[in-house]
Amino acid sequence: MANKSRLTKLAVYLYIPNIIGYMRILMNIIAFSICFSDKRLFSILYFISFVCDALDGWFARKLNQVSTFGAILDMVTDRISTACLLVILSQVYRPGFAFLSLLALDIASHWLQMYSTFLVGKVSHKDVKDSTNWLFKAYYGNRIFMGYCCVACEVLYIILFLLAKNQTENITDVLMNAAKQSSLLSTLLALLLFGWAIKQTVNVIQMKTAADACVLYDINKKQKA
Amino acid sequence: MANKSRLTKLAVYLYIPNIIGYMRILMNIIAFSICFSDKRLFSILYFISFVCDALDGWFARKLNQVSTFGAILDMVTDRISTASLLVILSQVYRPGLIFLSLLALDIASHWLQMYSTFLVGKASHKDVKDSTNWLFKAYYGNRIFMCYCCVACEVLYIILFLLAKNQTENLTDVSLNAAKQSLLLSILLALLLFGWAIKQAVNVIQMKTAADACVLYDINRRQKP
Repeated sequence: MANKSRLTKLAVYLYIPNIIGYMRILMNIIAFSICFSDKRLFSILYFISFVCDALDGWFARKLNQVSTFGAILDMVTDRISTACLLVILSQVYRPGFAFLSLLALDIASHWLQMYSTFLVGKVSHKDVKDSTNWLFKAYYGNRIFMGYCCVACEVLYIILFLLAKNQTENITDVLMNAAKQSSLLSTLLALLLFGWAIKQTVNVIQMKTAADACVLYDINKKQKA
Repeated sequence: MANKSRLTKLAVYLYIPNIIGYMRILMNIIAFSICFSDKRLFSILYFISFVCDALDGWFARKLNQVSTFGAILDMVTDRISTASLLVILSQVYRPGLIFLSLLALDIASHWLQMYSTFLVGKASHKDVKDSTNWLFKAYYGNRIFMCYCCVACEVLYIILFLLAKNQTENLTDVSLNAAKQSLLLSILLALLLFGWAIKQAVNVIQMKTAADACVLYDINRRQKP
């Protein structure tokens, strides 16, 4: 019995989607250690890691290798890679505080949402059938729209990093200059900024909704007792 | 009934410990927006916020105002303030990747531990009665030792930030110079490094233990039907 458990535990760690997860972590480690010396390679590695993020979920379902550990591995890798990207952006842009705030918002909103998901007993923070906020429903109800907002966010951050030539660039200056250079680039940036703005707004609403859920959890507990 | 719920929700948000929590957030926002221009004020604000971290738990129990929301508010504020401190350290020290790694370890270990706590049904990640690792038991079993390690970590980061005079200091140079200057400072740094090392080791073990718990959760679920 003990041997069977240990073998099965290793088997879960060696699920194909989880191995893809480990590769994602490795790619991120390499990417961020060379991010300043080789921006192009950094972007390529980060992009591949992002693609794997979508792939490992697909593989998990195809190969019947869905695991709780895999889902958490995915979530934590996402959070840390986004955090690291925001950290290096806060180094090359002024005001750095803007990116620090985005980092705080990302961590706080996802943490609160995950906690409240557990308290309420939902499977994933993406299941919001009973949420009343219209933007929430539009965002989580339409997977393609949600995909666009998430991708827009990451691509915007990567482009901002690639645009920065020196340390301590002013972010508005860089954006304005880039927009003036090419009509294509300004259209792209506008699209990315729109998706990014939606995602950050959803993050803020997520925090409020999740906080309410935590408070109601206590209130309901007291009323039952 | 609806009015009573809404009133009680606001009441929870206005619990004294939670108001202390909001003040902590405000102090952190102010602290990190002036951290480069006024290091002394930054340290004072950060320290006060740290003291409030201990106080709000005490108030919650004294005033019978313990809340799930308050506990999460506390946890998330801790994570973000530590993350922000590591971000500014990664800006002033080379190699910045070290502090980026510590940030990743902090987020990953706490996230995994929180998730596994929910899956296993424990009240808090500090309840580890059935954990077999000796360091784990020593750490979580002895509140004073645990407190020393947590405080040592934060104080070490603050001191490192105060010691840095320019951008891109080399971490080992600064530490060695500081140690040479004063015997008292070297003893303090040694004590802090010891506590910090224990905490990071526990973080790593926490990740492994929590990952195992997540894997076992899936295995047990499959064996039950």
